[in-house]
Amino acid sequence: MLSNIDHNWRTRSGEGITVAIIDSGIDTTHPDLAGRVVESVEARLVEKRVVFESSESGDSAGHGTACAGIIARIAPDATFCSIKVLGAGGLGDGHAFLSGLEWAIKQKYKIINLSLGTTKPQFFAPLHDLLDRAYQAGCIVVAAANNLPQPSFPSVFSSSLISVIKSIETDPLNFGFQFGEIIELTAPGVNVRTAWPGGGYKSLTGNSFACPHIAGVIALLLESDPEMTPFHVKTALFEIARENLEQGVSN
Amino acid sequence: MVLGENRNVAEQDSREINKKLQRLVETVDVANLLTEPLSRSIESLLRVSAAQIDCDEASVLVREGGEGNLRFLCAIGKVADQLLNILVPAGKGIAGFVYSSGQPMVISDVAEDESFYAEVDKKTGYSTQMILATPLNHGGEIIGVLEYVNRRGGPPFKPFTPEEMDRAAGFAEAIASLVDAYQSAKLFRDLGEQMLGETGSDTADVRKWLEQLRESPSHQAMMDLAVLVRDVASRGDSERNLAREVLESVLKYSSSNDDLFNA
Repeated sequence: MLSNIDHNWRTRSGEGITVAIIDSGIDTTHPDLAGRVVESVEARLVEKRVVFESSESGDSAGHGTACAGIIARIAPDATFCSIKVLGAGGLGDGHAFLSGLEWAIKQKYKIINLSLGTTKPQFFAPLHDLLDRAYQAGCIVVAAANNLPQPSFPSVFSSSLISVIKSIETDPLNFGFQFGEIIELTAPGVNVRTAWPGGGYKSLTGNSFACPHIAGVIALLLESDPEMTPFHVKTALFEIARENLEQGVSN
Repeated sequence: MVLGENRNVAEQDSREINKKLQRLVETVDVANLLTEPLSRSIESLLRVSAAQIDCDEASVLVREGGEGNLRFLCAIGKVADQLLNILVPAGKGIAGFVYSSGQPMVISDVAEDESFYAEVDKKTGYSTQMILATPLNHGGEIIGVLEYVNRRGGPPFKPFTPEEMDRAAGFAEAIASLVDAYQSAKLFRDLGEQMLGETGSDTADVRKWLEQLRESPSHQAMMDLAVLVRDVASRGDSERNLAREVLESVLKYSSSNDDLFNA
């Protein structure tokens, strides 16, 4: 075990940590999330440029709320910034998604949850550059693999971000690390019960819901050491996953 | 003399236009012949895949216009016909999310949802309880969504499994290729029909001309040949290659004897 990892991370609550969620928005009135969304912005097209303006349109699809709900359960004192790039009127998904990531990096959000991806080859290079910028700025980007026959970006960039794929594990804190694989982290992502717009809950399956588990764990780790870099965090996740495996609690 | 020359030029122009129109009609009719079996293939594959996922209700949604809206291209199940008239607004519901995000997902308890699915169910009278949705990806581009709803038999349904998500993604790859081919053939057909509509100010005359052309033995023979080629091509690679070789030989033979045939 590395000496600088907080051994009591499981008892932390993510206090003082804000997680940026690039998604379909967040329902700020949901009981699990009310008062915890400190900033909500939405992509808009102004004179052919994507700009981010304050948003009160909530969540159009449910996905962003579901991701925030998962993080909220793991890190009950963490707060959120909702960066809405899906369901925002008239925008091409890829451009809005890239702009959202760029905006989050410029704001220097330490944890950026990206339960999205693109398979369009033209976004490979610009996303790669953005991920390098995130790494250098100390932003930890957690991305969901798409689990389709085609590779999706940025989840296949293994060097500068943390990529996650779903496992059938049910304990939210028992994640795994598959060193040498393109997608390195595994986390619960099957029938995950989480918040849904309108105040209710849904059981959801997909890599999209594995990703926020890791974002939540990182919020706990950062609470005890807010200066951790993406490199430190990945090393800590590797060490903890190894412990999980040794204790026979991880899949 | 000048008047006579002008008349000759006008007659020649008219013959040229007729010939071009005739080719256009042939192209449109061939495109029609192509879209029909493609839409049947999409439906067949949808049925096969749904059976593999132990499900009776499935649908293929494709983009409608440039705003990110989706419409049902093909559906099977109890309310299939009603679904075909429903438009899914950009980003709405799981289909909208899967289309815009490219992320497949399963939702196991839609039933209590008060939003999009409640609206769709109200229109169709169906009760959506579980959805498995996966993107249709062709050439790196998301062109639609493949959806499976509920299980066979009655509720409570066993949730869709991660293995079934993988299986659906495999089917989505094949269905996406068919949808892309269908959309291309349809685009071709729509463009041709639009061009035909724009040609000639007297639509009654154009329609009459079209009817005559479509009933003419040479056009019928052309369509018969197209059907034959289509049927042979659908049998497999070796049949396709053989048909191509035969047709190329005929073309080569015919070109080398052009003078002979024209004499």
